[in-house]
Amino acid sequence: MRLAPKPGENAWLWLAKLASGLLILVLLFVHLVVNHLVVEGGLMTYADVIHYVSNPWIALMEMSFLVFVVAHALLGARSVILDLRPAPGLLRVLDGFFVVVGIGAIAYGIWLMQVLVHQTV
Amino acid sequence: MSVESTSNRRPANLVKWFDPRRREIGTWAFIVNRLSGLGLTLYLFLHLIVLSQLAKGPQAYNQFISLVKNPLFLAGEFLVVAAGLLHGMNGVRVILTSFGIGVAHQKRMLYVLMGLALAGCVFFAIRMFGGEV
Repeated sequence: MRLAPKPGENAWLWLAKLASGLLILVLLFVHLVVNHLVVEGGLMTYADVIHYVSNPWIALMEMSFLVFVVAHALLGARSVILDLRPAPGLLRVLDGFFVVVGIGAIAYGIWLMQVLVHQTV
Repeated sequence: MSVESTSNRRPANLVKWFDPRRREIGTWAFIVNRLSGLGLTLYLFLHLIVLSQLAKGPQAYNQFISLVKNPLFLAGEFLVVAAGLLHGMNGVRVILTSFGIGVAHQKRMLYVLMGLALAGCVFFAIRMFGGEV
């Protein structure tokens, strides 16, 4: 099993994958703890969610979580594809696809969050 | 940039990844990590898509929540939790050994981390299916 960057994987991207993985573990823990301390019984209704994200620290935490998770998921998916040894041209196309999907997912999350923080119940 | 030449190699054998014969424990860790990672990626995008119900207002979202209270969805959620625990715990080992920490003890480290993941699974199973919350 190869742990270091694989062929075609930039060392910085590899490091980003590790770092985002670690940050996800930290934020997942924070997310679970906060979720159970701030909202008893979990976010089971619309009103719960609106109340939850009305705290700017929560909104910021959730947005950072989204960025790390999206980055980690796409870098991981790319690692799987690298193991299938794609032709360089195909890899370039897929890289473009990953960038578009990643930016799209994060932009969508930010849009959704700003819709929710402006809601009142 | 690192080495970018992936050209003159034969395509990898996808089936070989999942061939269970003559496996070391580390290869199992690799297989579990890969499957759980792909599963979690699928979940991430499904999750982002369904959360768009929030933008449609209280009725749409509350209706969605009553749908996912169904035991089938709960079982799916449990798979997500289990995949997250396995992937996260194995990831700790990958990060440590990548920086040269505990390489000589990585099998034992894997067993301990998988034990923690299993304990986490039991905890969440009791919380999710144990009746009273």
